[in-house]
Amino acid sequence: MKFRKVAALFLAGAMCAATVAGCGKDSGSSSTSGGESGTGSGEEEEITATITVWSPAEDQSIDNGEWLQTMCEQFSAEHPNWNLTFKYGTCSEADAGKTVSSDPSASADVYMFSNDQIQTLIDAGAIAEFGGSALETIKENNSDVMVNSVTVDGGVYGVPYTGNTWFMFYNKDIFSEDDVKNLDTMLEKGKVAFKLTDSWYIGSFYFGNGCTAFGDGTDEAAGIDLTGDKAVEVTEYLVDLAANPNFVNDADQAGITGFNDGTVGAFFSGTWDYSNITLDADKIGVVACPTYTLNGEEKQMYAFAGSKAIGVNPNCEYPQVAVALALYLGSDEAQISHYEARGIIPCNLTAVEDEKIAADEMAIAQNDTTARTSVMQPLCSKMSNWWTPAENMGKAIIAGEVTKDNAAEKTEEFNEGANNGVVQ
Amino acid sequence: MPKGKAGKKKNKEFYNPYSVTNAVKKGDIFTRLSMLIMGLGNFARGQIAKGLAFLILEAAYIFFMIKTGASCIADLIRLGGAEQQKYWNEAKQVYEYTQGDNSLLMLLFGVATLFITIIFILLWRASLKSAYKAQCMKENGKKPDTFVQDIKSLFDKNLHKTLLALPVTGVVVFTILPLVFMISMAFTNYSKLDSHLTIFNWVGLENFGKIFSFNSSIGKSFWSALGWTLIWAVFATFSNYILGMILAIVINRKNTRGKAFWRTIFMLSAAIPQFVSLLLMRTMFNREGIINTLLQRYFNLSEPMPFWDNAMLARIVIIVVNIWIGIPFTMLQVTGVLQNIPEDLYEAAKVDGAGPVKTFFKITLPYMLFVTGPYLITSFTGNINNFNVIYLLSGGGPVTDLSSTSGKTDLLVTWLYKLSVDQQYYNIAAVIGIMTFVVMAVVSLITYHRTGSYKNEEGFQ
Amino acid sequence: MKKMSKSARIGKKTSNVFVHILLGVLAFIWILPILFIIMVSFKSDPGLQVRTLLPDVILQKVKLSHPDMFANVTRGFIPTLDNYKKLFTDTTNVFNFPQMFLNTLIISIFTCIISAFFVLSVSYVMSRMRFKMRKPFMNVALILGMFPGFMSMIAVYYILKSIGLTEGAMIRVALVMVYSGGSGLSFYIAKGFFDTIPKSIDEAAYIDGATRWQVFTRITIPLSKPIIVYTVLQSFMAPWLDFIFAKVICRANKDYFTVSVGLWNMLEKEYIYSWFNCFAAGAVCISIPIIILFMVMQKFYREGVAGAVKG
Repeated sequence: MKFRKVAALFLAGAMCAATVAGCGKDSGSSSTSGGESGTGSGEEEEITATITVWSPAEDQSIDNGEWLQTMCEQFSAEHPNWNLTFKYGTCSEADAGKTVSSDPSASADVYMFSNDQIQTLIDAGAIAEFGGSALETIKENNSDVMVNSVTVDGGVYGVPYTGNTWFMFYNKDIFSEDDVKNLDTMLEKGKVAFKLTDSWYIGSFYFGNGCTAFGDGTDEAAGIDLTGDKAVEVTEYLVDLAANPNFVNDADQAGITGFNDGTVGAFFSGTWDYSNITLDADKIGVVACPTYTLNGEEKQMYAFAGSKAIGVNPNCEYPQVAVALALYLGSDEAQISHYEARGIIPCNLTAVEDEKIAADEMAIAQNDTTARTSVMQPLCSKMSNWWTPAENMGKAIIAGEVTKDNAAEKTEEFNEGANNGVVQ
Repeated sequence: MPKGKAGKKKNKEFYNPYSVTNAVKKGDIFTRLSMLIMGLGNFARGQIAKGLAFLILEAAYIFFMIKTGASCIADLIRLGGAEQQKYWNEAKQVYEYTQGDNSLLMLLFGVATLFITIIFILLWRASLKSAYKAQCMKENGKKPDTFVQDIKSLFDKNLHKTLLALPVTGVVVFTILPLVFMISMAFTNYSKLDSHLTIFNWVGLENFGKIFSFNSSIGKSFWSALGWTLIWAVFATFSNYILGMILAIVINRKNTRGKAFWRTIFMLSAAIPQFVSLLLMRTMFNREGIINTLLQRYFNLSEPMPFWDNAMLARIVIIVVNIWIGIPFTMLQVTGVLQNIPEDLYEAAKVDGAGPVKTFFKITLPYMLFVTGPYLITSFTGNINNFNVIYLLSGGGPVTDLSSTSGKTDLLVTWLYKLSVDQQYYNIAAVIGIMTFVVMAVVSLITYHRTGSYKNEEGFQ
Repeated sequence: MKKMSKSARIGKKTSNVFVHILLGVLAFIWILPILFIIMVSFKSDPGLQVRTLLPDVILQKVKLSHPDMFANVTRGFIPTLDNYKKLFTDTTNVFNFPQMFLNTLIISIFTCIISAFFVLSVSYVMSRMRFKMRKPFMNVALILGMFPGFMSMIAVYYILKSIGLTEGAMIRVALVMVYSGGSGLSFYIAKGFFDTIPKSIDEAAYIDGATRWQVFTRITIPLSKPIIVYTVLQSFMAPWLDFIFAKVICRANKDYFTVSVGLWNMLEKEYIYSWFNCFAAGAVCISIPIIILFMVMQKFYREGVAGAVKG
């Protein structure tokens, strides 16, 4: 009579037991540490392995010549002693932080990420540090800015393969090369779209007037400085800006859409939007951020600059293979072929000098931005407090809730929110 | 008084002489030994298959506990664990890492082991009761149930055990186990703060203190989000319920033509995935959206309506859009019940000379409330957790207090999402989850126990 | 006498006409957003912004006569099938929509079979049988749904992982379990329905010697078509609409993405501009099976209800 009850309980028990069995399995294999010594550095030891690689879907698509697959096969061919099989997964650079750290042990051995994810990945134990010859290769091939963008507490955690920042696209019919040096000159002549409600963008005005985020971007103790008149002045400027009839807040793709149908003369975005522009190529201008005029003085807008990079999973079975593959995917040839396949602008110092790339207007703008009109996007974990208040500030300005009367008060709130975060 | 009586009666109704206490008190040697060796009592009375099943399960549990279970429990009590360590491997020129512990998995597997143990205890009780029952039957000169009889009863007298087995397993594994896991997060320091995302420890009630202080930003956000959540749930539930019912009644009238056609039309809004229709709705209500464009063109509005920037407007728009989303479900639900109202109730009303309005209030509404009372409660609680509508429409905005994370239209659930998935304060999110849960559970249990369908389940049969 | 009944009849007729007009107006409002989505799915200009839905031909004429109108709109609406073509043929690149569609279809069919079975079982037991744990179970079920589901995502993922369901083709099984696993809790509506079926029918069957199992399968289930329809419809839709759980469980396994994960990914900043129209087209495609299911089910629904009333 009770049999069925027993059976039911057993079933439930079996499922729970299976759950726990996984526990045993995990802790059983917990010591894959490097006790064993290698077989000398000259000859590579024989390895048969399956390497999982995650990248954005476009890197693997046929239309783009299956860039990733081609590179991996070439890599395999260069290492005859390694018998490698590749498994590919799709995960965009922006998602990598969340997806990889949700379960590092079941994630790719080599994956691509944007550098703002680095702290999440480190916290989850999902990214390995580079050292020795690999570190030297990275440092040799990249500018200091790029190396810093993947450095946390002195450790380098990725092979950068492109910059990640934003700059300005403008319509040459509407603005001249002189106009685009100053935002306020532009606003007199035509419509300009800016993503004021996006926290990746709004900071550029504040940084132009002496506000800082974590000192030079690495000093966690310094915090975010949005205090005093220098910040309030910017808030007041933004209130005016939002009220300017020639200003368009670039939400829901209003910027690119307007740019394409000619109603918007300029908008701020990054390399990813270039292929969406349908204007004739000779009409499109790409330059670094302009200045803006604050109380009669010219101030430079500073965009957040970061990078996209290739990371290695510390849980992988053959770290030497994964590290070599990451370096290969970030090498100058791979970056040039990436540029040819998808227009991803290289950051490798050798690749940048390539004829085609040196002549590419967008590459020039991006590199100019990184070098001259950007602040390094801070990687410390307190930076995560920035995003929500910054976005809210932009929204409040657009909604008209911030006025010149309460600008000081609202800026103070913004500063407080950005520094304290949600939970103390 | 009557309540106490009913309670007593209920106990009697399910009185079982073969209880664990009786088994211990009055059981013979075999029955008592079943406490140690499960199934022994059954073997002694010739119930071989049943005894074997009990014995195997006991062996399996002991094996499991020795192999992994015990260490999982130990981990659960301790939590914490070893951090991931890195070693420089000169030969390979790479850093190698030890796996490191993951407190999250310790917590989950520990909780799972607790579940298995609880199940085992239930099993143990069942085996004891069954041994005692077999003993009693034998003493009374009856033959204990055979295996075949047991199976047969599972399809008749004990059908509920058969039918509930799988659904309850599903609920235990996919709802209750994760729920207990989440609740226990509230007592840990599992959060981004001081980077406790892989290794975390028990901290007791510390997190609860943060919520209760009105002065902290998190406390303020909590109370304001709670207020709006309740307002929203009331409006969203009743607007859908009443309008959906009226619509269903109108379509259901004898003289309405093309009933199937109308029902299909009004179902369409449920057929489009919410994340598509809601995202499009959001763009439609934007400053540059089509609705503002039309308003400006035909009603000479000088300024666009700030649908998402004004708290009041945003709230109204959300409720209106929710009517569009939700009515199909109410309609579908109500139609089935409407068509089941016994015709003679209406006949009687007609004889009494009641008009349509009176009939509605005297017959339709009470009947509907009786049958759909639980539906109202489930949709109320569903609305409290209505993540999609808020997240996709307003995203919780507008935010007026810049230092807070919750906006004017943030429900507790969307705010929780921001706190846990976006900001990684899992412990705080769990605390808020628990508090919401407690408030809602109490409210809905009380309401439910007052509805006609609970008090008088056979009322309309 | 005769006169009065005539005026009453006229009154009835006018109110009848009024009801139909009202329904018509409501229906129009109802399908307006849907029409909008359909229009977007045929739109030829990329991007999120929809400036006008006036056909191009008309727009150009209006612009000729009133140059100040539609000043910031250069092109009108030019319908095209390209978005659908791209959705179904551009499978080797970023989004393999047909594959996702198939995945979702398989998952949703199994989900609704299992969910319907679970819901019917539990609600029958709760409505017809009396046992000790019944009331506690009902109370617990009522409140369990109140804890926000996404908070349990991590736990559910690891539970599925430890049963070995997060790799390869097993992901589909995992998703079916996620969508149907907890469905035993949503029995309240079905139970309410069962409560209205007269018990005398059951009792007559017991007298004839039927077991409870036979009553359940041969009498109760055939009488409960409307509620089966309701359950099937709701559980069939879940996999098409969920974009949170599916993402957590599929992770980077593109081959097992469901439609909603794919559509959701189209909204990323790299894709949104060029894929937005396809996003709408995808939405239209998802709605079609759901609408078909609803129309087919509606027939059963009416028959089922008629049967129940007759007893």
